Amino acid sequence: MTKLITAFALFVITLLSAQGQEATPQKTGNQYEQGMGKAFGLWKEGKNTEASDLFERIAAVETTTWLPNYYVALVNTTSAFGTKDKEKINVLLLKAQNALDTEMAKDQNNAELYVMQAMINTAWIVYDPMTNGQKLSGPTMELYAKAEAIAPNNPRVIFSKAEFEIGSAAFWGKDIKPMCTQIDKAITLFSTFKPESPFSPSWGLDRALEAQKNCK
Amino acid sequence: MKTIFTCIILFFTANSFAQTTISGRTVDQKGKPIAGVNIYIEGSYDGATTNENGEFLFVTTLTGDQVLVASFLIYETTKTPIYVADFEAKIIILKENINTLDAVVISAGTMESGDKARVSVLKPLDIVTTAGSAGNIIAALQTLPGTQTVGEDGRLFVRGGEANETQTYVDGLRVAQPYGASTNNLPTRGRFSPFLFSGIAFSTGGYSAEYGEALSSVLLLNTEDEPDQNKADVSLMTVGLGLGNTQKWDKSSLSVNASYINLAPYQALIPQNVEWNSPFQSLSGETVYRYKFSTGLLKLYAAFDSSKFDISQENINAVAKTRVDLNNNNFYFNTSYKGNFGNDWQIVTGMSYGFSKNRITLDLDNVNNEENAAHLKLKLKKNFSNLFKLSFGADYFTTQFNESFTANLGTTNTNGYNSSIASAYTEADVFLSKKFAAKIGFRASHSDLLEEFSISPRISMGYKVSKNSQFSLAYGDFTQSPNAAYIKYSKYHEFESEKASHYILNYQYSVDGKTFRAEAYYKDYSNLVKYDSATAEYNSIYNNNGSAYAKGLDLFWRDGKTIKNLEYWISYSYIDTKRDYKNYPTPVTPSFVSDHSLSVVTKYFITDWRSQVGFTNSFSTGRPYNNPNETQFMNGKTKAYNNLSFNWAYLISQQKILYFSVSNVLGTQNVYGYDYANTADSNGVYKRKEITPTADRFFFVGFFWTISKDKKDNQLKNL
Repeated sequence: MTKLITAFALFVITLLSAQGQEATPQKTGNQYEQGMGKAFGLWKEGKNTEASDLFERIAAVETTTWLPNYYVALVNTTSAFGTKDKEKINVLLLKAQNALDTEMAKDQNNAELYVMQAMINTAWIVYDPMTNGQKLSGPTMELYAKAEAIAPNNPRVIFSKAEFEIGSAAFWGKDIKPMCTQIDKAITLFSTFKPESPFSPSWGLDRALEAQKNCK
Repeated sequence: MKTIFTCIILFFTANSFAQTTISGRTVDQKGKPIAGVNIYIEGSYDGATTNENGEFLFVTTLTGDQVLVASFLIYETTKTPIYVADFEAKIIILKENINTLDAVVISAGTMESGDKARVSVLKPLDIVTTAGSAGNIIAALQTLPGTQTVGEDGRLFVRGGEANETQTYVDGLRVAQPYGASTNNLPTRGRFSPFLFSGIAFSTGGYSAEYGEALSSVLLLNTEDEPDQNKADVSLMTVGLGLGNTQKWDKSSLSVNASYINLAPYQALIPQNVEWNSPFQSLSGETVYRYKFSTGLLKLYAAFDSSKFDISQENINAVAKTRVDLNNNNFYFNTSYKGNFGNDWQIVTGMSYGFSKNRITLDLDNVNNEENAAHLKLKLKKNFSNLFKLSFGADYFTTQFNESFTANLGTTNTNGYNSSIASAYTEADVFLSKKFAAKIGFRASHSDLLEEFSISPRISMGYKVSKNSQFSLAYGDFTQSPNAAYIKYSKYHEFESEKASHYILNYQYSVDGKTFRAEAYYKDYSNLVKYDSATAEYNSIYNNNGSAYAKGLDLFWRDGKTIKNLEYWISYSYIDTKRDYKNYPTPVTPSFVSDHSLSVVTKYFITDWRSQVGFTNSFSTGRPYNNPNETQFMNGKTKAYNNLSFNWAYLISQQKILYFSVSNVLGTQNVYGYDYANTADSNGVYKRKEITPTADRFFFVGFFWTISKDKKDNQLKNL
């Protein structure tokens, strides 16, 4: 049962590598924009620790926006997917969880945070499928259900959920068509999705397109 | 790394303010550089990440007095007041954070499973996927080192101790009657289904001062804090059927399960070594209700179990078989609250109540007994710092036991006792460093019935010698009231508590997916109950002059990594023990002890077949028995015991599982011991009868179906 989770979780990793953030460091503008831009720059260069640290510093100052902590969680979770060293994964996911917890405590109505939690769970499942697969796959589906209830048209919610479901369906030899339809829907939604601010999450289209290929 | 600095500098030079350079190095307490530390000026974005040499350098536009923060997950965050104009090439020392994952955990005596366990000896799933365990928590634990396979009894025998020396706790509260009712040579099983438990800690000695009234071992079962989702479970088995349902609301949840077991079909199919007049039947149910407060969790747990059977067993002392007709009703309830308050205070409180009633007919005689047992608990814990934690608490145990015996057409004799024990304990957790930890405490206890007061010290410590290995030591004194079979005669005799001291040395090595444990122990018993008659009677002469020792070595190796899809563990126990108790004329190894025990458990997942296949082999060397034809006491030894069990779980679809298991595949004719006649025959020979399993094999086929909204969950974890 749990082996299948590895299969599809590994699948998630490969897709998670690239972030669609197009923000560039701006030489002008206010401190927040500069800082965020700088952090994205570091992340793009592959300096994950530095990027995460800067996001953390921004988060410590800008307590009214959830974005810096969200990115602390995202940077560390995506690095965890790309790491083999179990101890490092532990530290990275703990860091991600701490950052996410801070924002979850402030706002329980943000679909992006639920998707983020689901990703952290998925990383734990990959970490130890035998133990965590049984424990976390139920709660993870529940997180996606909550996210969908809050933001039924958020392409990341639709896509991530479909992706989580697709792996297990494949194992059971079940038809993956319903998930594929959802991926198609997500791709359409991506084209019309307007991030609330320049730094709001907008990633996912490339991965959805990649996943779509596997549907055919 | 240089490029980052350049980058940062370039970035900040874009600003036109005056800038100051902040630079330095971060090192640990030994002076080793720490990379990846986030260094910044509090309240600003200005900062950097240290490089491999622990160096950092950044510029800031801030001036004057500021606070420099150094933060890194596995170290304590430090805040250093600085004067911006004068902070270059300074050294910041970080202290290790004890609360992190790689700190030492005292592991002497205890084997844990579940979420909180850092090194899992047993995973929650294992209880149920171990071949031969058939969903019995106790049977799964018997594959761990330090336990004895006593097939005719079924209970946990730990390190030379009797079964009643192990105390069971659910959510920190005592379970007075943890086993189903049974009779002579008919094995019992644990009363609890693994269904509702998410964590198990099994201590084979040297446990915390929080637990008392156990000479050998404690088994701690914790119910799930929060179920995953709403679901219904249906099980159809060759031995009965089961139903379960879980409902979840915003802050609370309720799980209920019930099962009916009837062994008639199994007993009809497989040849039985005993005669069943009426098959084993039981109706049982459990329920857990949980409510989440903002700072705590309330749990209510209730279990009820009603079972009966009627059996005729051969008796070496009689021509006719002895008939035993048993009815047992059992009820267990507990409520616990765990929460945080004030400044780093934690409270755990609750009460448990257990009721057991047996109605046993032995041929024409009647035995009725009834036990009411309660436990009240309060525990407080305060975290003074990451280095020092103090906990203290109190327990109150009360037990009321009554038994009546009516011989055929004869008079009725009643015996019983009322016991109450009040205890208080305190324990300190001290971390001297991340590598060295100690737990020091004691337990004070007063028993009304025995009119005695005792103080038991407990000390344990752990030292981490390298990244993956550590040593632990434990010492403790333990006391326990003599078992009900004796103290029910309290109105005729004065008894004292039985005592034991444990000395344990443990070594543990664990790397990703592999664990090795070795534990050597010495156990010293004193004050054991002795009597002068063939069996313990009201008019026997009792004393507390018995003693015993047990010493041995337990080894455990678990590996889920080396071979893909294969998880296995090997347990080996060696024990040397002699006991002078009961009516023993000399100290001898008691009949429930095998010198060497070896268990090998394997689980192999075959992806293409969607199956998990498991084998468990338990082997133990012969056990002593007393042969009255020989002059020397307890001089006999049975042949070795071996049992190979097999199970197979097939996932029909995601929520439907077909499960098959069979024990003793090889059909080994095991002999647990011998019953000898009370008197010699005309030739002066005491005749004997083998004590064997009730059947050579047990087999089981079940179909398990989970119905839930997400269509993902299944009962694999319960098999």
